[in-house]
Amino acid sequence: MAELTPPSEPLAIVVNRSNPLDNLSSAELHTIFLGGRGYWTNGRRITLVMREPGEPERKTILRDVCGMDEEQFKTHFLRGLYTGEILVSPKILATPSGVRKFIFNVPGAIGYLRISDVDATVKVVRLNELLPEDKGYRLHVQNQAVN
Amino acid sequence: MRGLLKFGIKVRAFYRAPIWRRILNFVSRHNAIILLLTVCCGATTIGTFVVRDMREANIEAEEIYTRSVHGLQRIGELQYYTQETRRATLYALTTSDSNFQVEYADQSRAADQRVKDGIAEYARQGEQPAEKDLANRLTIDWEKYLSVRDEVLASILEGSTKEAVSLDLSKGVPAFELVRQDLNEVKGLYEQDAARRQANLVTVSRSSTSRLIGFLCFTFLLSIAAVWAIQRSRVLSTVQLAKLQMEFVASVSHELRTPLSVLRSAADNLADGLVEGKTALRRYGAILQHQSRSMGELVDQILLFASTEDGKNRYSLRPLEVTPIIESIRADTETLVKEAGFTLDPIIEPDLPLAVGDRTGIMQCLHNLIGNAVKYGGDADKRIVLRVDTAPLERGSDRELRIAVSDHGMGIESSELARIFDPFYRSPRVQAVQIHGTGLGLSLAKRIAESMGGRLSVVSGLSTGSTFTLHLQIAKGQEMTMATTVSRPMSSFTR
Repeated sequence: MAELTPPSEPLAIVVNRSNPLDNLSSAELHTIFLGGRGYWTNGRRITLVMREPGEPERKTILRDVCGMDEEQFKTHFLRGLYTGEILVSPKILATPSGVRKFIFNVPGAIGYLRISDVDATVKVVRLNELLPEDKGYRLHVQNQAVN
Repeated sequence: MRGLLKFGIKVRAFYRAPIWRRILNFVSRHNAIILLLTVCCGATTIGTFVVRDMREANIEAEEIYTRSVHGLQRIGELQYYTQETRRATLYALTTSDSNFQVEYADQSRAADQRVKDGIAEYARQGEQPAEKDLANRLTIDWEKYLSVRDEVLASILEGSTKEAVSLDLSKGVPAFELVRQDLNEVKGLYEQDAARRQANLVTVSRSSTSRLIGFLCFTFLLSIAAVWAIQRSRVLSTVQLAKLQMEFVASVSHELRTPLSVLRSAADNLADGLVEGKTALRRYGAILQHQSRSMGELVDQILLFASTEDGKNRYSLRPLEVTPIIESIRADTETLVKEAGFTLDPIIEPDLPLAVGDRTGIMQCLHNLIGNAVKYGGDADKRIVLRVDTAPLERGSDRELRIAVSDHGMGIESSELARIFDPFYRSPRVQAVQIHGTGLGLSLAKRIAESMGGRLSVVSGLSTGSTFTLHLQIAKGQEMTMATTVSRPMSSFTR
């Protein structure tokens, strides 16, 4: 039996609704997700929200944004925290609703959600001027393979 | 058919009388019942007010209870959820797991929504300006605390625990203290409102108690008054009846004794042989005849009164031609009238309709009226007029037949007119001038008239004479037909 190509779903970058940010470039997103930037332009501290290791969304971010695998990512943050280059480690949330609620409660939070998990409590940020529904949007999460 | 006719005659007889007379008759017949009904009506009216007051007091009490319970519950909920908002926020400090922290944040937000709803309900239900002002202040203070709470939550979730604690102590605690003070004020207002309503309730309750006491006193006094009035009325009636009966016995004795004395002396003279010659014997015979007839008439009248008194007198009502009756009564009373030096002038309207009545009853009634006219007709104008005509009824469009007996004698004082139909009543004026009688004639005539579905009226003036009128119903429709086809009595009417 031939294996079917699993369908993909856009992965949205989301921030708190009070955040004035509307667009991020791929480079900015890379810097933020690797802890290279500590504050937003409004002075709020950036809090990175990640899903647990092994989740498809996390894999997508690590692969398409950070350009790392899980081990490299962990090592990067351990070194950054140790050297003081990074002040706060990413917050790990178990569920999409947890991510939503965290971002809703923390003005400086940034995270990612499948487009189907996005609701009005969070704000979707354009990536390279593209919304997740737009053609050419580069972040897509692969769903589980269907036999 | 007879039953229907009898009922119709009864109804017509009742409604022909003037309204005030019907009311007076009804009141005089049922004074005890009317008094008791008045007491009942009074008691019911005041009782209704008392019950209304008590119901109002109960409603007020229920409202106070409901408001107090509801108010306390609302304040309790508000206090609980404000504490819960803060407690859940602080719980987030106890863990570094972001998943738990998010859950606590969720709980805090759910609790603060309950507080907002509670404040909104309080503002909506607040009636007094103080309540509305307090609701506004509470809303503002709660929003201030929530803004601090949001910052604290954000700091906790970011992992800045120290910053969160510092922010909570510097801004969160004072803001929360303001909210607590506001809630205490809300509680104070509830207590004030409850105290005010309780005072109102006490006032209403006192008022109800006073009314109840007043009602009981009123009922008690009214009952005493009613019983007293009933008893007094009965005693007075009994005394008056006894007095009248004594007078009646005295009158009857006198009326019987006079002819009896004449009879006795005439009999003695005859027995002793003092009467000689045909002429003397005839004169004595006439005396005996006249006196015995007088005694017989007196006894008949007493018996007739007794029979009407116990309600057993019966008259056969039928359509009658009045003119032959007038002729008969004229013939019957001719001797009486002539011997007293009077003349009886009948004035009869032509083409009289048939009247509903009983021949014997009409004769008895008119005999009494003519006898009275002779007795009290005086000496100046010894003319008695017997007028028969028809006239419209006082109420309605029907007509009635009237037989009026008028004299020109001493007349009756207006103050006595109401009593002359009472049994055994005799005017002091006629007693003073030694006019003898039993006091039964007019009472009897009135009863006879009413037994026939008619009535008896009087118009009198002092020294100008009196006119007594027997009012009879005119036979109509079916009665007329029956009168022409049935010779036997159509109905019997019992008073």
